[in-house]
Amino acid sequence: MGSGQHPLKKSTSAIAAIASLFKNIFSHKWGQKNWGRKFVSLFLVGALISVAIAACSDTKPTATTTNGSATQQAPTGALKKDVELTLVSFAVTKKAHEAIIPKFVEKWQKEQNQKVIFSQSYGGSGSQTRAVIDGLEADIVHLALAGDTSKIEKAGLIEKGWEKEAPNEAIVSKSVAVLVTREGNPKNIKEWSDLEKDGISVITADPKTSGVARWNFLALWNAAAKKGSSDAKAQEALVKVFKNVPILTKDAREASDAFFKQGQGDALINYENEIILASQKGQKVTYVVPDVNISIDNPIAVVDKNVAKHGTKEVAEAFVKFLYTPEAQTEFAKLGFRPVDESVAKEKKFVEQFPAVKELATVKDFGGWNEIDKKFFAKEAIFDQIQSQIKR
Amino acid sequence: MANLNSSLNNFEGDRPQNSPEPIKSTDKKSLAPAILIAIAFLYLGLVLLLPAANVFVTAFSKGFAPILEAIKQPDFQNAIKLTFTLAIIALPLNTIFGLSAAWAIARNKFPGKSLLLSIIDLPFSISPVVAGLMIVLLYGRVGWFGSWLETNDIKIVFAFPGMLLATIFVSMPFIAREVIPVLDEMGTDQEEAARTLGASDWQIFWKIVIPNIRWGLLYGLVLTNARAMGEFGAVSVVSGNIANKTQSLPLFVEESYKQYETEVAYSAAVLLALLAVVTLILKEILERKTNKKQS
Amino acid sequence: MTTPPFTPEKPRSQPNAFLKIFSKIPWTWVITFVYLAFLLILPIIAMLVKASSEPFESFWKTATTPEALSSYEITFVTAAAAAAVNGVFGTLIAWVIVRYDFFGKRFLEAVVDLPFALPTSVAGLTLATVYSEQGWIGSLFASSGFKIAFTRLGVWIAMMFISLPFIVRTVQPVLTELEKEVEEAAWSLGASKFQTFIQVILPPLTPAILTGVALGFSRAVGEYGSTVIIASNTPFKDLITPVLIFQSLERYDYVGATVIGVVMLGISFVSLLAINLLQAWSKRYG
Repeated sequence: MGSGQHPLKKSTSAIAAIASLFKNIFSHKWGQKNWGRKFVSLFLVGALISVAIAACSDTKPTATTTNGSATQQAPTGALKKDVELTLVSFAVTKKAHEAIIPKFVEKWQKEQNQKVIFSQSYGGSGSQTRAVIDGLEADIVHLALAGDTSKIEKAGLIEKGWEKEAPNEAIVSKSVAVLVTREGNPKNIKEWSDLEKDGISVITADPKTSGVARWNFLALWNAAAKKGSSDAKAQEALVKVFKNVPILTKDAREASDAFFKQGQGDALINYENEIILASQKGQKVTYVVPDVNISIDNPIAVVDKNVAKHGTKEVAEAFVKFLYTPEAQTEFAKLGFRPVDESVAKEKKFVEQFPAVKELATVKDFGGWNEIDKKFFAKEAIFDQIQSQIKR
Repeated sequence: MANLNSSLNNFEGDRPQNSPEPIKSTDKKSLAPAILIAIAFLYLGLVLLLPAANVFVTAFSKGFAPILEAIKQPDFQNAIKLTFTLAIIALPLNTIFGLSAAWAIARNKFPGKSLLLSIIDLPFSISPVVAGLMIVLLYGRVGWFGSWLETNDIKIVFAFPGMLLATIFVSMPFIAREVIPVLDEMGTDQEEAARTLGASDWQIFWKIVIPNIRWGLLYGLVLTNARAMGEFGAVSVVSGNIANKTQSLPLFVEESYKQYETEVAYSAAVLLALLAVVTLILKEILERKTNKKQS
Repeated sequence: MTTPPFTPEKPRSQPNAFLKIFSKIPWTWVITFVYLAFLLILPIIAMLVKASSEPFESFWKTATTPEALSSYEITFVTAAAAAAVNGVFGTLIAWVIVRYDFFGKRFLEAVVDLPFALPTSVAGLTLATVYSEQGWIGSLFASSGFKIAFTRLGVWIAMMFISLPFIVRTVQPVLTELEKEVEEAAWSLGASKFQTFIQVILPPLTPAILTGVALGFSRAVGEYGSTVIIASNTPFKDLITPVLIFQSLERYDYVGATVIGVVMLGISFVSLLAINLLQAWSKRYG
């Protein structure tokens, strides 16, 4: 990243200067001078360090436009300054974006004669959301659940109605929940209710620390509610399941670790794309895609306040659009996400990779993330109740 | 200098010879040292060595190829640069603080000394996540200084300065804490003698104090450096993890791990461990060059 | 108090006034307090303010939920146990490094600092692997029915791992500084080695040991990265306070996180103060 290296270079030379200054101070040559000068030199060092810090904090993205006019399209041929885009996304999407971004950059260069430089950050969806709210100046956010994007909206950074600004209600990648078992499925685990049985131990991530783990919980609840036909029955069923959970891991990756590496549990609840990624990286997996399931929808949004500040609205929106093209969707599919583009979904290799799910519930069926949070994950809501109902 | 068999068994043995060298464990008369050394190794083995070995084993489990691949990535290289930069700035700053505080505390009698010491110790017990949170509360977009920073377009959180603050915070107490006991043990005799001979404060500091505390100071430096380079929790909260810009080496380790690039993650961890050990080796070289202190 | 700068015969290249201003406040104090104020006190105040943005009743309620209370107990007791054990073994290791010469000594010395350098998440991962039921060490204990990883025992081991260097590195410089004359004197007066150790060596070493234990304890109390991985994070069993704080954070419950953070801060501070007072007392009378 060009603009990322210069501040570091500046600081390295500043630091070299500081280092030699320090060397002088600590060597005995200065031992005879009086302390007034020592103090001055320390001040100098402090000043130099502050300069180094200031130099390093000079990492503003450089946004540009052409010839005076605002964000209008300039005739191709006019040379534009580079534009910088910051993409903040959740962890598992890294490989997909890394493959998609060069293609977009190429396209944009050809069509607009402008170079796009991407800064990328990947991490847990919840942590990324918090970072953006606290000041991480993302231009585009690709998160694991719409609830997180809404939080950024509530903080005033995204304008209302963002769901309509992209196709498919701004859902750009999907997945479903799966049940991973030991090789050969010795305990014969086929569907969600099997997890309630005695003697089965289940590993899943903690919905409190992993926003994405809420999807797992919803999948469980969805199946139990449909079977039991009442909330009370569903809660009973879930108490039974969580009784069988010896470890609530911090996030999805750790859940996989606990199951595969540390040999815990007979069953693992995780998202399909996470398991596909694991198997692509060499982990042997045996899993079942239950018929009654929930659609794990990952939304994409442009952060209006930040793009206005950076002047990158046009490029950001173009990138979002690009993510829906078959080209980009294929990259997502390769990584284990179910594509939202029909034509890609129909491709043979992906049809094999993604078994069809008979009954797919969505967040809408639950009334949206606001309702979900209130009902299940707020303090002393259903999840907390389940935890306290378990006799430990 | 007496050879001393300090022991937990009552070994009322012969008088040892007068020799300045530490006891060799092959000494016939010294059973106790052998036992103690064995215990030391066993304990370290259980708590430290085996887990550490596991890191190395996992890092190299697929051979050198993935590691060589990783080293070529600009992500990796920038992460190393960033970690180095953080350490190299945090170290002198914390040294100046540490020495000042150690001197002020060890050389003065005042009520509330224990209070001040406990305050200085706080960065240890504050969970790294909380430390990061505090910095965000101050300098984040909705923090105390948030709007002022935004108006003046100064970036602290999710940029280098925020990471630096976090790094300085977690590694702050080491030098003070290492130097104070040595200052105490040293006593003020030499300084008072020097003062009566007309030396200035600064002369006393450079010619008497520093040479005497140098081992405590060096240990403090080694610890500060290791901590600064290895810090994860606090930095992760304030950095934003932007590859090549605000991703330090520990953050790089975590991300590689999340991407199922386990070998890369562990080899970066190995590198971090080696970097810290290097400072220790430097200290050893220094020790051998200057005369080891004879008591 | 430190004496004002005293350079009677040396030529001065700075005017007297410069010195006079700074001689009023010893600059060691200036640096100490400014640094502390900016980097430590200010953030803590920010946290206190945030935590107290709710009325006291709700502060108290958040701070004393059964989950929170059990987490305090688990955290502080386990950390104390880890620090205490390390107090003994850490001193032993420091002793062995300073006083003896043996094959592998350099290696031992280098390895002691490892817990600092390893990112805490890696430490957690490797400990969880090694101490799990199929792990190198865990399998040895599994046959006797001891589960270490994913229990409070695992948390204890993780805490010992990350706090060990504190004790060793705090005791080591003091041990190196000890004057042999006193030991020799005791010898010449006929004291046994054991007596000499207890009555001559241990007293000056005790402050350093206590310091190291205090440091190790505080570090273990705040540790998150490694403990969260090796624990099962089950409330009332091995859920420690830092993980509880993190959970609050993930729920955007900044106030809840800071409330518990403040409580932790308070308890740590009081324990640290107690240890430091104990140390000061032992220095005077020990």
